[in-house]
Amino acid sequence: MNRKFAWFSLVLVLAMVLSACAAPAAPAQAPAQEEAAPAKEEAAPAAKEEEAMAEEVITLEFWHSMGGNLGELVDELVARFNDSQDKIVVNATYQGSYDDAFNKMQAAMETGQLPQITQNFDIAFQAMVDTGVVLPAWKMIEKYQDFDPEVLVPAVREYYSDENGLVALAFNSSTPILYYNADMFEAAGVPDIEGSLSFSEFKAMCDKLMEAEVAPYCFTFGQVGWYFEQILANSGGLYFNNNNGRTGRATAVEFNSGQGVEVFTFLNSLIQEGYAPNLGSTWTETDSTFQTGQAAIEIDSTSDVSIIEKSDFPVKTAFIPHSDSSERNGVIIGGAALWLVDSGDEAINKASWEFMKFMAAPEQQITWHTGSGYFPVNLKAHEDPRLQKFWEEHPNFRTAIDQLVTTKTFLDDGSLNYAVLGGRAGPFPAIRKLIVEAYSRVLNDGLTPQEALDEAAEKANELLAEYNAFFE
Amino acid sequence: MAQSDATTSQPTASSLGAMPTGRRWNKLRAAVEGYLYLTPTLIGLTLFVFWPIVSSLNLSLQRISPFGNRFRYVGLDNYIKTLTSPDYWETVRVTLFFVLGTVPTGLILSVALAIALAYPLGRMDPVYRTLIFVPVVISSAVTGVLFKWLYHPVVGYINYGLLQLGFIQTMQEGPNWFADKTWALVAVIVATTWRQLGFNVIVALAGVQNIDESYYDAAKVDGANAWQRIRHITLPLISPTLFFLLIINVIYSFQAFGEIDVLTQGGPGRATTNMVYSIYRIAFVDARDRGLASAQAYLLALMILIMSYIQFATVNKRVHYQ
Repeated sequence: MNRKFAWFSLVLVLAMVLSACAAPAAPAQAPAQEEAAPAKEEAAPAAKEEEAMAEEVITLEFWHSMGGNLGELVDELVARFNDSQDKIVVNATYQGSYDDAFNKMQAAMETGQLPQITQNFDIAFQAMVDTGVVLPAWKMIEKYQDFDPEVLVPAVREYYSDENGLVALAFNSSTPILYYNADMFEAAGVPDIEGSLSFSEFKAMCDKLMEAEVAPYCFTFGQVGWYFEQILANSGGLYFNNNNGRTGRATAVEFNSGQGVEVFTFLNSLIQEGYAPNLGSTWTETDSTFQTGQAAIEIDSTSDVSIIEKSDFPVKTAFIPHSDSSERNGVIIGGAALWLVDSGDEAINKASWEFMKFMAAPEQQITWHTGSGYFPVNLKAHEDPRLQKFWEEHPNFRTAIDQLVTTKTFLDDGSLNYAVLGGRAGPFPAIRKLIVEAYSRVLNDGLTPQEALDEAAEKANELLAEYNAFFE
Repeated sequence: MAQSDATTSQPTASSLGAMPTGRRWNKLRAAVEGYLYLTPTLIGLTLFVFWPIVSSLNLSLQRISPFGNRFRYVGLDNYIKTLTSPDYWETVRVTLFFVLGTVPTGLILSVALAIALAYPLGRMDPVYRTLIFVPVVISSAVTGVLFKWLYHPVVGYINYGLLQLGFIQTMQEGPNWFADKTWALVAVIVATTWRQLGFNVIVALAGVQNIDESYYDAAKVDGANAWQRIRHITLPLISPTLFFLLIINVIYSFQAFGEIDVLTQGGPGRATTNMVYSIYRIAFVDARDRGLASAQAYLLALMILIMSYIQFATVNKRVHYQ
């Protein structure tokens, strides 16, 4: 008896394991139908009409990387969309960081369980296009004629466009700005920062602040690749060849010459000459340094406005600096965009497109901007009286917008200013990391900025060559 | 399919069992039965361990694009590239330094604490043990955030403490823990050792408490002092435990990840990028090339294998089994 039972249970366990293993394979081919399935089952016993109605509802998976209070805000916007109509239901899921979400997407490509809309960050643009699963926005615009890309802030629109037109729809856009401690500036008798300072103007201001001993440090910044990219763009320098990889695939970096060296030298000298603490590669330690009054100025993303404004002292904001040998050009739009993943089904694609347009509409962008500090990417939102009033009350949000809107997206002759459009290359994330390492090569190992950048450039060019080899 | 398995195989098994096929059949049946019991585990292992091992060997021979999953067969190129890269040897150096920094300190501290804890401490006993074990329960991410605050060069408590104790005159003079190449590794080693300590102490304590009191009594009669008793009784008798801890700790240190990811992200430069962290960066963050990462994973596995073999071959001889 016992033995029989043992055999039976063993077989049972085996069967369960086998069936569990077999399960995921079946629905892999058709993610959309699979999601529609539960709705169908519920409707099955009901009348035919109801079944037809249930089938009409399209369920979309939306992957995003907005955690914490930003995630709550996304949920609010998604709920607003779901309530606004009864044909489409969007399921928003937080997938961790942009890297995590991209990795999951890569895994999903093998199993076919792709989301219909996904959020991915600025510098993943080329890699996203190269996945081959993305349906560019311009195709939807061409087909349905229901969206005018001109309503987008030009810098944002051009960033996410290729030669055919808009590819992804910007959702959360941010740029870096300077935050400064107004009390310290007053105590040191330093006037407010007007416009974008040149490097030597910046250092002269720092000297005054340091002499007045209002704080141990004048400035604080994290050694991340982003600030280098931004100040380089502001100084009109290119990161990649082929016009920043926008008129052809980037085959080499250009940051190790001209403006790149000047910018990198400046950033390192701030630490070497004691103007800024060496905090390593960090996004967060700078906040704690600035908010505890250890530094008078901080550079950080505009999306941190609401956090930094909560300091115990009045915070003012200003444009980021530019090199002595250049005029101010402006900033590259950072942040992330929404991508339409081609489901192969026109109705589903159309539904996804509806959702993307909804998220870029003025109403949602106003909620998003006032709640998070990310830009309202829609120009129509800028005219909204509510936003005008909000900006009057929160001038720091205004600085960010001004810095972006006054960015020279086009040169005087009307051609595109590729420097501020930002770089585009498949292995950009890996190359950005090389800049982080280059800081350490200068600050820890005593290389000159030029040597460190040359070393980074050599590795970067190798990465570019390897990436491009996939297209030969 | 699952259903039919259950219904067909059960009667077959019992009817075959009733057949008079002699001893050979019984033997075979016992073996088959044994393997059947193992099957659920084997299926799990095959799916999640053996298959990935084989599949990553295949991956390590490819270059894999960071977009989609485009593969390009490159033969041993990933291995050659890795072994000829100075950056890779830097990660090996960091890994070894990390192991040397965490394992001996961890073991010495844990034995000392275990011996101290083995003496009856009265009512406070559970309190001490709990305090020492708490870090193990805390996740490495939380440890990381805690230490990040402690080590902060401008507003951190460690430098503030040094300032208050008069070791430094201003906060700026203190070590810049995460931005200085040597201190960064030390900082990560300290945080990791602290977190691992609780586990080591509990295991070592079990070893110490297993020692029969009569050995100590005999030694006392012979006039051995406390140090001599530890040196000649405690240590030899807990050597099997220590050997176990050594192996576990070495492997753990080779694979340290959590603290590094939270505290330094492998920086400054590559000063705290160990082999595992390098694999992670290559596979999932920077180059997103799972081929190159697989090659490095194989090299790491090989290295741990060799280290474990050396440990078994050399240290094992010195272990005293009762």
